[in-house]
Amino acid sequence: MTAATAPAATPRAWRVPRPAGPARLLRIELRRSPMLWMLPLLAALFWLSAYRTAMNNPPFWTIRAATLQANAMLAFAPLLAGVCAWAGSRDGRRGLVDLVGVTAAPRWAAQLATWAAATIWAEALYLAGVAVLYEVTAHQGAWGGPLWWPVAVGVAMIAASCALGFAAGLLLASRFTAPLAALVAFLALAGGAFALQDNVRYAQIWPLSVQGPFPTDSYGIFYPYLPDLAIAQVMFLAGLAAAALGAIGLPAAAGGRWLRGTAAAVTVAGLAAAGTAVGLAGTARVTAHGIVIPALHDAASDRPTPYTPVCGRGPIRVCLHPAYRAYLPAVTAALGPVLGQLAGLPGAPVRVTQVAVTSVQSARDNGIGFGGPVISGRPPVLHLPLSGLTLPGEGNMSAAQFTSSLRQQYGPLIVNDLVGLPSGAAVGIGVTSVNAAPGARGAAQVAVARALDQIMDLTQVGGGSPARSGAGGSADSGVPPRALQVAAASHRFSALPAAVRHAWLLTHLTALRAGRVTLSEIP
Amino acid sequence: MTAAEVGQPTGQASARSRTAGAGLAGLRLARLHAASRRVLTCVLVLAACAVALRTALHWLPRTGVYARQIPLTIEAGAAAVIGVTTRSPFGEPERATGRWLPWLRLAGCVTLTGIAVGALAAAAAATHLAGGAAGLARDLAGFTGIALLTAAVLGGALAWTGPMAYLAVTLPALTGNWTTPWIWPARPPPDRGAAICAALVFAAGVAVITVRGARDRSCE
Repeated sequence: MTAATAPAATPRAWRVPRPAGPARLLRIELRRSPMLWMLPLLAALFWLSAYRTAMNNPPFWTIRAATLQANAMLAFAPLLAGVCAWAGSRDGRRGLVDLVGVTAAPRWAAQLATWAAATIWAEALYLAGVAVLYEVTAHQGAWGGPLWWPVAVGVAMIAASCALGFAAGLLLASRFTAPLAALVAFLALAGGAFALQDNVRYAQIWPLSVQGPFPTDSYGIFYPYLPDLAIAQVMFLAGLAAAALGAIGLPAAAGGRWLRGTAAAVTVAGLAAAGTAVGLAGTARVTAHGIVIPALHDAASDRPTPYTPVCGRGPIRVCLHPAYRAYLPAVTAALGPVLGQLAGLPGAPVRVTQVAVTSVQSARDNGIGFGGPVISGRPPVLHLPLSGLTLPGEGNMSAAQFTSSLRQQYGPLIVNDLVGLPSGAAVGIGVTSVNAAPGARGAAQVAVARALDQIMDLTQVGGGSPARSGAGGSADSGVPPRALQVAAASHRFSALPAAVRHAWLLTHLTALRAGRVTLSEIP
Repeated sequence: MTAAEVGQPTGQASARSRTAGAGLAGLRLARLHAASRRVLTCVLVLAACAVALRTALHWLPRTGVYARQIPLTIEAGAAAVIGVTTRSPFGEPERATGRWLPWLRLAGCVTLTGIAVGALAAAAAATHLAGGAAGLARDLAGFTGIALLTAAVLGGALAWTGPMAYLAVTLPALTGNWTTPWIWPARPPPDRGAAICAALVFAAGVAVITVRGARDRSCE
C-alpha cells in the first residue's frame, strides 16, 4: 500500500465547547462560594443566638419559631450581607470585570449564579438548624404543631440579605464593601427596632417583629397563629430581593436588550411588592390574638383551636390548656390556698379555667398590657390568663418562683374581684388604696380586701403604700383620716377567728360587693 | 592639609545627609505602606462612623437597650474596617523583603485604633453615650483585637467577620443578665474584669498582627 492508496485521514472535527449553562455555572459557583467557608461560623452563631436561647425557654412552638425569626436573623442577616458583598465584588477586586464581560454567558446570568450559590448554602444551613430545633421541640412534647410562617420569613430574609449585599458588592468593589454592608445591615435592623418601639405606623414590617408587641407565648395556642404580618414581611423581603437582583441586570454590560428588559421588569415588580407590603403593614392592628392586617386576614383564623383541657384534682378544679400541662402543679399550688380561703363564699369561683386573654390593651413603646384574672359566669368561674407571665424554665425562673409570683400577682386581683372593687382599681400600686375606691362604702371593700390579702400573705404587691399596709397611721403624718379608719377596720377584721370571719363574709359579701356595707359595720 | 584631615568636613556632611535621607526614606516607606493598606480610605470611613454615631445619639433615647445597641454596632463597624486594612496586596515578596514591616504593622493598627477612639469619642462628646468615653474605648479596643485576630486567622479581607459575629452574640446579651467578662460590652464600664478581657484581646490582636501580619492568600 502506497501513500496514495492509503485511506484519507478523517478530518478532525473541531468541537467548540458550548457556553456554560445555568446549571453548570451554579455547580461551579457552589464549589467556590465564600459562603461555604462561612458555614462553620454561621452554624456557631445559630447555636449561640437561636438554639441556646430557644432551649432556655419552655417548649412552645410559638416561642421556638419566634426565636428562629428574630434571634437567628439578627445574627445571620448582617454576616450574609457582608459575605455576599464580598462575593459580589470578586470580579472587581481581581480586575476581571472586562475579561468576564466578553464571555458567552450573559453577565446577569453569571452574577445570579454567584448570588444563588451563596444563598443556597445559607438557606441550607438555616433550614438544617430549623430541622434540628423543631425536632428537639417535638421530642420535648410541645403541644400543637410547628409554625412555618416564621421560617418562611427567615428564608426570605436570607435571600434578601444576600441579594442586597451582593448588589452592594457589585456596585462598589472594595475591601471595605463587605464590612460596610454588614454594618449597614446591623444598623438597618436596629433602626427598624427603634422605629417599632417609637410606634412608627409602618414599622411592623420590620422582619424581626414576629407578632408586634405580643410576648411569644401569648398567641398561636388558643387560637391559630395569625400569619398576616408574616405574609407582609415575606412579600416585603422577596420584593427587596427581586429589586436588588433586577437592578444588577440593568447596566448595558449585563446582557442583551431582552435580558435587560426582563431585569427592569423584575426590579419594578420587586419595588412594587415591597412598597405594597409596607403599605399593608401600615394597616396592621393589634387584636386579642395577634396582629391583623385586614387585606390579608383569613376569617377562619379567628376560630379557636379545639382542645381538651387538663384538670387537676382538688376542692376547686384548676383546668389548663394542654400546652401548659407541665405547669398545672405550680398553678394549683399558687392559687389553691387563695381559692381555698374563699371557697363557699357567694361569688367565689368554683373552678379555674385558663383562657388566652381576658383583655388586651396597647401600651407605649410597642408594649402591650394583658388583663388579669376575671371571675364570671354561673356558677362563678375564674378565667385565668397566663399570657405574658414568665413561665418556669424561662430564663432563670424556677417552679417555686413562678408559684410565688403568680400567687402574689393574681391573688390580690382575685380578692379584689370578689369584694367588688372596680376592675380599674385592681391594677397597680393603688389597688386597694382609699383614693382608688371613693366613698365610705368603697372603703369597706378596701378594708376587707386588705385584710384578706394579709391573711393569705398576699401583701407584697403594693406593700409600700401606707394606706395599704396600715403603717404610719398618725394624724400628723399626712395620712388622710379615712385611711386610718380603713387600716383600723382591716386590722380588726384580720384579727377575727377564721370561722367568724368566714361566717361574716358568707352573710355580708353580697352586700359588701354591692357597696352597702360601711367601715363601721365591719366586725 | 594632611591625609588625616582629608574629607573630615565632607564626612560629617555625608553623615548628616545620610540621616536626613534615612528619615525621608522612612517617611516614604510609611506613606507607601499606608497607601497599600488603604489607610486613607479607612480614616474616611472612621470619620463617617463618627458622623453616624453623632447622628444616632441625637435621635436615640438616653436609656434602654437601643441606647447601647446602635453605638455598639458603629464601634464594631469601625473595628471591622481597621481589621480590613491589615490586608496586604503584595503577600510573600513584601514579607520576604520588608525589614520594617512588623513596626509598620504595629504603628498602623495602633494609630488607626487611636484615631477611631478619638473620632468616636469626639462624636459622642457632650451627648448621652451610654457607658461614656471609657466604655467606648474599652469596647472598641476589644472589637479591634477580635478583628486583628480574625485577620491573622482568616486573612485581612475577612477580618470583619470576627467583630460582626461577636456583635451578633453580644446584642442579645445586652438584654440578658450575662455576667461573663468576655462579653465586655454587656458589662458596665467600671467592671474591671471586662476591661481586662478587652485589653487582653486587643493586646493579643496587636501582637499577632505585628509579628505575623494578616494571613495572605494568593488568590486575593
